[in-house]
Amino acid sequence: MILFNNKTKKVSAGTVGSVNRHTNSKAKSNFYLSRKNAWLLWLCQCLNISVIALELSTWMLAIIALSLAWQALLLHQGRDTDNNRSKNKTATGHTHRNNSRQDHQHSYRQSIGQNTRKKKQQATNVSPIVLGIFALLGCVAIVITAKQVGILASMLHLLCFSYALKGFELRSRSDFYQLQLLGLFVLAASLIFRQDLAFSLITFALLVLNLAVLLQFFSFEKAFVTNIKVVIVLLGQSAILAIVLFLVFPRLSPFWQVPLAKSAETGLSDTVKLGDIANLTRSTKLAFRADFGQQKIPNYSQLYWRAMVLEEYDGRQWSRQHKSTRNKIAVAAKNFSFDNSATEISPLSYQVIVEPSFQKYLFALAPAVVTGDAKGIQAQADHTFNNSKIISQAKSYRLTSYLTAPLTLELTKQSRQLNLSYPQGSNPRLEQLALQLQHNYVDVQARAQAVLNIINKENYSYTLQPPLLDNNSLDQFFFDTQAGFCVHYASVFTFVMRASGIPARMVTGYLGGEYNGVTNTGDNTGQLANKGHLSIYQYDAHAWSEIWVEGKGWLRVDPTSAVDPERVNSGWSTQLLQQQSELNNDLFSLYRMKNIAWLNALRLQFDALDYQWTRWVIGFTSKQQYDLFKNWFGKMVSWKLALIIAVSLVISMSMLMLFLHLLNRSKTKPQSLTKWQILYQKSMAKLAKQGMDKPPSMTVNDFAKEVRQQCPELAIAFTRLSVSYNRLCYQMLSTNEQEKLTLSMQQQYQHFIQVLKK
Amino acid sequence: MSKTPAVDIVQASQASITAILNKIESVVLGKPKECRLALACLLAQGHLLIEDLPGMGKTTLAHVLATTLGLSYQRTQFTNDLLPADVVGFSIFDNETNRFELHKGPIFNQVVLADEINRASPKTQSALLEAMAEQQVSIDGITHELPMPFFVIATQNPLFHAGTYPLPESQLDRFMMRLSLGFPDLKAEKQILLNTSQRTNQTSADSKGNSKADNEAVVAEAELIVMQDAVTQVSVSNDVLEYIIALSHVSRRAYNGHISPVNNTDEIASEISCKPLSPRASKALLQAAKAMAFIDNRDYVLPDDVQAVFYVVCQHRLEMQPNRQLDASQLESSSVARQILNSVDVLNPLGY
Repeated sequence: MILFNNKTKKVSAGTVGSVNRHTNSKAKSNFYLSRKNAWLLWLCQCLNISVIALELSTWMLAIIALSLAWQALLLHQGRDTDNNRSKNKTATGHTHRNNSRQDHQHSYRQSIGQNTRKKKQQATNVSPIVLGIFALLGCVAIVITAKQVGILASMLHLLCFSYALKGFELRSRSDFYQLQLLGLFVLAASLIFRQDLAFSLITFALLVLNLAVLLQFFSFEKAFVTNIKVVIVLLGQSAILAIVLFLVFPRLSPFWQVPLAKSAETGLSDTVKLGDIANLTRSTKLAFRADFGQQKIPNYSQLYWRAMVLEEYDGRQWSRQHKSTRNKIAVAAKNFSFDNSATEISPLSYQVIVEPSFQKYLFALAPAVVTGDAKGIQAQADHTFNNSKIISQAKSYRLTSYLTAPLTLELTKQSRQLNLSYPQGSNPRLEQLALQLQHNYVDVQARAQAVLNIINKENYSYTLQPPLLDNNSLDQFFFDTQAGFCVHYASVFTFVMRASGIPARMVTGYLGGEYNGVTNTGDNTGQLANKGHLSIYQYDAHAWSEIWVEGKGWLRVDPTSAVDPERVNSGWSTQLLQQQSELNNDLFSLYRMKNIAWLNALRLQFDALDYQWTRWVIGFTSKQQYDLFKNWFGKMVSWKLALIIAVSLVISMSMLMLFLHLLNRSKTKPQSLTKWQILYQKSMAKLAKQGMDKPPSMTVNDFAKEVRQQCPELAIAFTRLSVSYNRLCYQMLSTNEQEKLTLSMQQQYQHFIQVLKK
Repeated sequence: MSKTPAVDIVQASQASITAILNKIESVVLGKPKECRLALACLLAQGHLLIEDLPGMGKTTLAHVLATTLGLSYQRTQFTNDLLPADVVGFSIFDNETNRFELHKGPIFNQVVLADEINRASPKTQSALLEAMAEQQVSIDGITHELPMPFFVIATQNPLFHAGTYPLPESQLDRFMMRLSLGFPDLKAEKQILLNTSQRTNQTSADSKGNSKADNEAVVAEAELIVMQDAVTQVSVSNDVLEYIIALSHVSRRAYNGHISPVNNTDEIASEISCKPLSPRASKALLQAAKAMAFIDNRDYVLPDDVQAVFYVVCQHRLEMQPNRQLDASQLESSSVARQILNSVDVLNPLGY
């Protein structure tokens, strides 16, 4: 009996499908998503949102999470009603059993149909009024907050909000499509913010998932995994076209400027307080990469990546020159460039690829000149480089540096004054020390060395967790706490220099970098051919000082070397790394990563891949494209460009078509249609025009019978044709007979056509 | 063998086939289609299961089939206390010869009519199993061959009748066809009522195994064997084979990925919930189709033949819940078998 019951359930479950199909074909509005598909769609929504979640405000995230949770709840309830439904069904099935068959089936279907519809509505449809009010409120909230968060973020809010809410009203198939499209849009939007390899891969995986859900909706295949496979194969096939488009499609400047988020600035900032950089160094995010090509990479201690020169000190923080003064200087040094003709030092040429930092400064090993395309890059008088626009995408540029060449040899009066000024009386003890030093050491460099000696000899420590100072007092640091980070030492040093009458300034940037690649010689700097790049992370951020020495120009002095030489010579000491990992409380912190060899190797491999990705895919700008064309086709003219684009598109399309065609051909019947099959197909097509369609499951004879009933005038001709066809198709005939019969069938076909024309 | 004899035999047998059909139809009135199918089943060397309400002429059909084909015939009424030995036979000690002697059961006839088979216990039902599949029985460990043309014609009442044991799937699968006679139409019923006296006479005579003039064999046993041979030689083109394969594949599709039967947008095919057809089923289908072609005076099989026998051959193998239906003729349009037929393109079967 139990067995029997099971069977009834199964059958009833089967009929649900047919019932749904039934109603579906009748009324389009009754759209039905199977439970599995609904859950998959929900999962897709969650994942899509989670990709972009970092960019959303907390309140929006909360709303979205709430609505998604609500949807999950509705889905869950839906399952309960599903169960009820099947129970009901078996009950009705039993009671109706004694009725006559047709009647039974009919009423059965009807009752189920109504049942489902009611339940469905109750289960998954929130009243549209409530939904509308909710949506309206959300929109109002988005508009109100628009000013704070900026246009891009509020647009994003709107997109995600609609994406989350759309899930409530899956009433028809078009709703489903819209939801899917919105999902893809959300995915695309998330790429605005991050384009690195890992993120792109995640996005791609989600794209596959989204498409697979879409496919699942249509396919017979019930296993989701096979659908994913299908989607991957499809995407693989379309990759050809994508590559061609990527290469040849003109890189148009966007029709609209993507408004940028304000708060996303990363990296160094314009002003530096004590302890600022220490916070930055907790981040393991990539700042930029440098590719030295085949050249020898300079020693670690020479890799002072200059980003900003901070000349103004107000007793609390260092900052760049005020706008007004800077402008003046900028005007004066409008066409500033390092004069490389005078030096005999061998140049070092390299490429820098900056990650989006949403700031303007660029990095260079001073002194340097821009080689190659210098568009949008401004060289400053202090040997830093600025981008004309905020860097919102990965940007690459080429530089040539003369590492040991002196920086600017002249010092304007104005600049000298600026670099000597400090708020009087802000750090009395240091000022006193400075005066003492000034008295003891006449030589500028000896005086500087003396400060370094003090730092070196006394009990100073280098730490990521400097104790808090009152009012950013340098005195307190230097004489009391004696524990600090690079900024502390650089600040103190610069201050003492200034106080003792030596022009000095603070420089921020990055020090060192992690070499990633293969060196042929095996020695860590790569003597001959190296194939790799330097990755400079945020934790490489650094601050140092420069002092002015008459006749030698600006000299770099790094007080950090006095307290922690390892930092300057080879990078972070283990102690610092440990500190960092403690501070970050991160399971996959750099320290642990570096300790586990294979993990570190994996990390480096991935970094290398990411570098290539940034360089070739993200960095494929219109200029690169142009160069590529130039390489392939010689000098470019616009008509030529257009021609290339058109031709390559056509060729790739046709190649794709051909490829698909061949692929599909091998799957379908290899043998072509025989003559009689063609004849019969033709006559069928003729009949179809007359309104007589042969259902696929109808046999030739049955169809002939039907034709006989519907158009008696065609009957004889068509029946003859059918009989010949049947014999040709199904009877074992010798080739001789076959030919004869084919001939006669041709005649019959002619006859049939004639009759048809009458 | 070469093709020509097959054609010849087909031609030559037509007279006897018409005769047989006439004979059967004169007894089972108003059911020409069922009669043809039943004959096809026997020509295809398959076993026949006739399912219907009591009093619809099941036994009559079985009986007339046996007698017209000139085969030895015995009827066994299956009841729930019937034992396997009652069907296959048993050994008994003979005092005179001091040896065990085999008492052959009714199964040692060429045609075994297992009346109301689903009233017997499963044990007895399965005793028929070996006989049906292997054409041999084992009694006390000794295997006995059964007579050469060997048919089991079983009748059964619909399952919801009191005191019935459903036949297990394995046993259902061994019946090539399951026929249902259904109610006769007006004319036929009138005829039946008119013939009442005569008919009762005859049936009483039949049950005694008497051979009256009416019940004389139309064909000889040898001729039947020749015809059966000819049926196997009916040629089958590749297209028809593919058609059969496609049909069985459709039935298996639901079985292979049967996670959720509810999937609205899928086409009809995936919504057919049924048991999959075994290769034995498709073999039976082919054989039955050949027999149909043979009866139709053709030496090649058309898809029409396949369609004609598909319902009777496959429906009982496909049903998830057997015998839910009351009446075959009304139901056929909505049955699983019909759905499967509808989902396969005749001209391009594997192109779905």
